[in-house]
Amino acid sequence: MSRLRLSGSGVEKRFGRITALHGIDFEIAPGESVAILGANGAGKSTWLRLLAGLAKPSAGRFVAEGSEGGGPAAPLSRERLRGRIGYVGHATLLHAELSARENLDFAARLHDRRPTRAEQDALFAELGLAEFAERRVGALSRGTAQRVSIARSLVHDPDLLLLDEPFTGLDEISAERLSHQLARLRRQGRALVVVTHDPQRAVELADRALLLHRGRLQEPGPFEAAALRDRLLQLAREDVAGARA
Amino acid sequence: MNVALALLWKDLLCEWRSRDRVVAMIVFSILVVVVFQFAWPDRSDEQTLALAPGVLWVIYLFAALLGIGRTFTAELENDAMTALALAPGTRGWIFAGKAAASLVLIGGVQALTAAVFALFFRVDLAPAIGALALVVGLADVAICSVGTLFSAMSVRSRFREVLLPVLLIPSLIPVLAAAVQASAAVIGGEKLTLAAVQPLIVIAGIYAVLGFLLFDPVLDD
Repeated sequence: MSRLRLSGSGVEKRFGRITALHGIDFEIAPGESVAILGANGAGKSTWLRLLAGLAKPSAGRFVAEGSEGGGPAAPLSRERLRGRIGYVGHATLLHAELSARENLDFAARLHDRRPTRAEQDALFAELGLAEFAERRVGALSRGTAQRVSIARSLVHDPDLLLLDEPFTGLDEISAERLSHQLARLRRQGRALVVVTHDPQRAVELADRALLLHRGRLQEPGPFEAAALRDRLLQLAREDVAGARA
Repeated sequence: MNVALALLWKDLLCEWRSRDRVVAMIVFSILVVVVFQFAWPDRSDEQTLALAPGVLWVIYLFAALLGIGRTFTAELENDAMTALALAPGTRGWIFAGKAAASLVLIGGVQALTAAVFALFFRVDLAPAIGALALVVGLADVAICSVGTLFSAMSVRSRFREVLLPVLLIPSLIPVLAAAVQASAAVIGGEKLTLAAVQPLIVIAGIYAVLGFLLFDPVLDD
């Protein structure tokens, strides 16, 4: 069960003159799985990278709280937060020259862990990667490499898994397989924050959705795929109407 | 510290398999030695000794630029740079690992270049090899420290190939001045004194500490 609570008030992120996030307020409770939904350019990935400790807010307050060793929850620095989350991007974050096992070993060492070969094998087996462990990542298919990326993100046993459009570039079968594996991780008690533009995937993998539109949080409506899709379309139509006016 | 060792292992293993940095540096270095050899065939031994430090450091600087320029570009593939940025703790250790890997690769190429140079120019570098290695090693610490920092800063820029030398070469002028003077002394048969290497020790120390401390925000979005 995740022991991380992430919250923010008035969180803003600017890149030069462009504001990617406009003062958003949110709270992600320990153990909760959340989908961040929105169209391209809504600011979803920026938000996720902020949650991962990869960026600082330009304004507002972002707090990560976690307990350690059964103690009371306390605010975590960005350095410590990064050790408690796993991150899967639309790119695999892997080194093509290394084998899947070497990538796993390297990721573990970055987190000051040294999993045994048996532990690595167990992780590979869990993700259906046993036969690919010694293969060079550059020679793997996109879908298999993405599963190796999930293995990499889990190697330090994080409290929370952050997934940024993990289905990008996958064919239907690979996406379905990945979705099942993520759902299984969730059933095992792993909390997920999934960035996606697909309401169906959001409903499959999360307890609730946060809807982001042009860097602002919106009321998502009922947590059903069809309703979320309608809501996204409605926001897109409002944009088009606004642009015409 | 473990992060630095992990990165050193990873970078050297990747280089062993791809050889893209080392091959480019070696080809460039040998090519320049050959060009200098043909440019000045009828020279006296004294002229060769006077020329040697300058030629060697021109080659060393530009070969190092080639190597350092590729330090972080490999991390752009599959966005592996994000995986580095996600490492918990002080990011200075990422800097240390990357700089150490560059130091090993550049040092190896420099040793080979010195051997080829000695062969082509018929200069006996053997009596000065220890002192020369110390001078080059200290200068390399400075070059790799500031080079790693600037390489990480410029890698996401569209103009990284231009930006890196523009940032790096001016900051290396004091290093090169001290290194060329100390190299000239040891190649000329003089004993290496503390006064000759003191500027290199100070500059290398400052650049290494600055790189370690300033690296954290470089990996932020």
